[in-house]
Amino acid sequence: MRHAAQVVCLVVAAACAHTAWAAQPAAPRAAIPGGTFATILPPAEKLKEATVRAFQMDRRTVSNADFARFVADRPEWRRDRVAPIFADAGYLRHWPNATTPGENLAAQPATQVSWFAAKAYCEARGARLPTWYEWEFVAAASATVPDARDDPQWRQAILEWYARPASATLPDSGSTAPNFYGVRDVHGVVWEWVLDLGSMMVSADNREQGDPDEKRFCGSGALTMEQKDNYAMLMRIATLSSMQANYTSGTMGFRCVTGPEPRP
Amino acid sequence: MKRILGILLALIGTASLGAEPNALPPDSLYQLQAALTDQDGRAIRLDVHRGHPVLITLFYSSCPAACPLIIDTLRATEKELDPATRANLRVLMISIDPGRDTAEALHRLAETRRVDTSRWTLARADSADVRTLAALLNVQYRQLPGGEFNHSSVITLLSPQGVIQTSSTRLGTPDPALVAKLGP
Amino acid sequence: MKNWIAISAALLLVACGQQAATTSAPAETGGSRSGDFGPPQGEPVKAVLTSPPLVPPPTGRTAPAKVIVELEVQEVEREIAEGVKYTFWTFGGTVPGSFIRVRQGDTVEFHLKNHPGSKMPHNIDLHGVTGPGGGAASSFTAPGHATQFTFKALNQGIYVYHCATAPVGMHVANGMYGLILVEPPEGLAPVDHEFYVMQGDFYTVGKYREKGVQAFDMQKAIDENPTYVLFNGAETALTGPNSLKAKTGQRIRLFVGNGGPNLVSSFHVIGEIFDKVQPEGGTHPQENVQTTLIPAGGAAIVEFHTEVPGNYIMVDHSIFRAFNKGALAIMEVSGDARADIYSGKQADESYLSDKVGDLAPVAAAAEAKAAGKLTKEQQIAAGGALFKGTCSVCHQDSGQGIPDVFPPLAKSDYLLKDPKHAIDVALNGLTGKVTVNGKTYNSVMPPMSQLNDDEIANILTYVLNSWGNDGGAISKEDVQKVRANTKRAEGAAH
Repeated sequence: MRHAAQVVCLVVAAACAHTAWAAQPAAPRAAIPGGTFATILPPAEKLKEATVRAFQMDRRTVSNADFARFVADRPEWRRDRVAPIFADAGYLRHWPNATTPGENLAAQPATQVSWFAAKAYCEARGARLPTWYEWEFVAAASATVPDARDDPQWRQAILEWYARPASATLPDSGSTAPNFYGVRDVHGVVWEWVLDLGSMMVSADNREQGDPDEKRFCGSGALTMEQKDNYAMLMRIATLSSMQANYTSGTMGFRCVTGPEPRP
Repeated sequence: MKRILGILLALIGTASLGAEPNALPPDSLYQLQAALTDQDGRAIRLDVHRGHPVLITLFYSSCPAACPLIIDTLRATEKELDPATRANLRVLMISIDPGRDTAEALHRLAETRRVDTSRWTLARADSADVRTLAALLNVQYRQLPGGEFNHSSVITLLSPQGVIQTSSTRLGTPDPALVAKLGP
Repeated sequence: MKNWIAISAALLLVACGQQAATTSAPAETGGSRSGDFGPPQGEPVKAVLTSPPLVPPPTGRTAPAKVIVELEVQEVEREIAEGVKYTFWTFGGTVPGSFIRVRQGDTVEFHLKNHPGSKMPHNIDLHGVTGPGGGAASSFTAPGHATQFTFKALNQGIYVYHCATAPVGMHVANGMYGLILVEPPEGLAPVDHEFYVMQGDFYTVGKYREKGVQAFDMQKAIDENPTYVLFNGAETALTGPNSLKAKTGQRIRLFVGNGGPNLVSSFHVIGEIFDKVQPEGGTHPQENVQTTLIPAGGAAIVEFHTEVPGNYIMVDHSIFRAFNKGALAIMEVSGDARADIYSGKQADESYLSDKVGDLAPVAAAAEAKAAGKLTKEQQIAAGGALFKGTCSVCHQDSGQGIPDVFPPLAKSDYLLKDPKHAIDVALNGLTGKVTVNGKTYNSVMPPMSQLNDDEIANILTYVLNSWGNDGGAISKEDVQKVRANTKRAEGAAH
């Protein structure tokens, strides 16, 4: 009887810990106001603007330590147990073992996680991945203004990150300066997964703009990207569109948001 | 006591995503325990046709262009098979527009297009699962402001255990590569 | 009768000559329509790829083959100039990327791998591919992944390949280009050396040769204002110990590409002439060319034969690029001298222009003056030498001036009535109306600020004793007095 009681206690304790961890955000999320803005990925052929409703965004990227707590809670997401359809061979390969990132990596942004894994993490916390428009809206900001995309210095600073080779040591999650909305690590650290990865219908040959193949996507060709001189954003789309949902990469991390249900 | 332990373990088991007792191959799509509703309003799961080869595709019923063609393509593909193979084959069409494609809408479509519901299932899933399914099937889609969708058209063949065998983007005429994989 | 025969023979010869001229147009290869030699034969072959400046050996094939090409994209930090580091994105770890060599009609199975350490996805567009995007749509590869596509090389030629991921200009500017050679079916004629050279323009935030790690500057790239224009991705890539090496008496072939992204190259080898150029890499050669244009995203094949030893410098002849941005490469040719073809410098002596004339009398006069022994004859001789080229320009060699423009000095009443006044004119110039020998002149004579007292004295003495003038002499002291007493005009010497 004592044995059973011990098991019950363990189960209850685990359930409580799970609930506690799941409900707690990494830090209070930043409130992002809604708005309409000129987007690089037009919602429809003649429409150049997208509208984003107010939502709340994690102030920093999810770290390896955060992700380790998720894996402990959901062992099917351990790298030695995860199904290959959900994560490729690179999943969490930088961790010293299947369950912990170790001290050196703990505070760094979680990378080598697939879209499926990132999505599951956010859902487990009662949140979700941001949509591309939500991400683009926040990423347009500099430290001082909400939309710095036409500022050549802002663009050049971002391009400089792209020019540096990917290094093994990433800056700690949350260690870069906050932008206008109080959100950190948006630029210059890692690429980030978005919820609507499957909507980035950009031709694999990025030069194809004004796709004459109307049948490619049932009623339209590949998307024509706007603001072709906004190279910083173009490169982010190019990177996201090259990834399949189960791919992992040393430069792809993520964060979560809460907010209105996004359109399909 | 053992029973209590068993129940507790089962409870813990069902709390996680896709840990099934009878082993699925590691690359089986059925590891996604997506909850679906079919055209008759029945609650089913993604692996409803497990044990049979399945042609699976994403569509939506108000689709003006490609989707009617998908049904025709699936029919034409089936026609290429001998009766025994055809009888064993299943078709699963899942809507990317769960908002408008209620069970009633799917039922109406099945009737209008004279779908053989003994082997074909038209189903809807909730948005989060649709997104995951599309990612697994490598289908891209995007809702337009007017409510229609742009989407790539892909027909995928799953093995009886839910593993992707091949897929085709060909519409209108059956893809010989797909037919070959289905067997005689 | 004989005349008729002669005339007929002549006409026949002319006709034959004309016929010969009209059948000399080169045969066409037929392009892609004639480039499909059927399915690949034999075992698949793994392509030999080389890093620049080396070129893989000729394929030696006589039938179409299946060729497997495996190319890896790496993002690497290297020196672009001494002390200047830059992050290059490369095919095969080098700029330009590995050289690929296949034969027309080959079926190429292309594997593109993107190193897991890459930050960016990459793809490839090979200009030798017939098919959408040149392969770009089929080779879009995320970091840590590999893609594959297959194409048949239908056209012979030398072709550029480059990355076509957005933003394309940035990927190209970071070094993502190289060459693929599709040999004609009969192969290329044998030569002694084949080399691989590729020009590119580079854009950095810092100035030319500003040390440290430099980032790519997008605005400079859009403005087409490069910081570096280089052969093979670095200032020292083909200079110093990395120079290309050859011997005299050798046939050299260069495959020269231009990755751009922006600039066209005016490719020239200083001291050599291209015996053969396949302009734009096309099939039919041109001969005896000094400088050939290589378009951005294009290539050329040049051949020359070495005769004379020495350093042959390859440049982009838009010459500021060569000397201020680094577009310079060297081929060292060693061997025995050939004085019959090029002698080197044979003479170097002093040279004075004709106009100035022989200034020996001027030197003699100066010496004599210093010794206190200057004679009038010496003054006249010195003055005469100085007159030529200075005063004679206006007043003419014989002192007759130009009617209505410059007054005469010969038998000039203006001069002879007061010779000392001439000192003032020479020193300070003369503006306005003067009447000389009954004619009016209204011009400007500038002050002769470049002449010193001795020179003015000698020139005036010469003038007074020439062309029938009365004679007399002006001394240096006379000139000094006038110089000291007159107010200097603006611009005049002190």
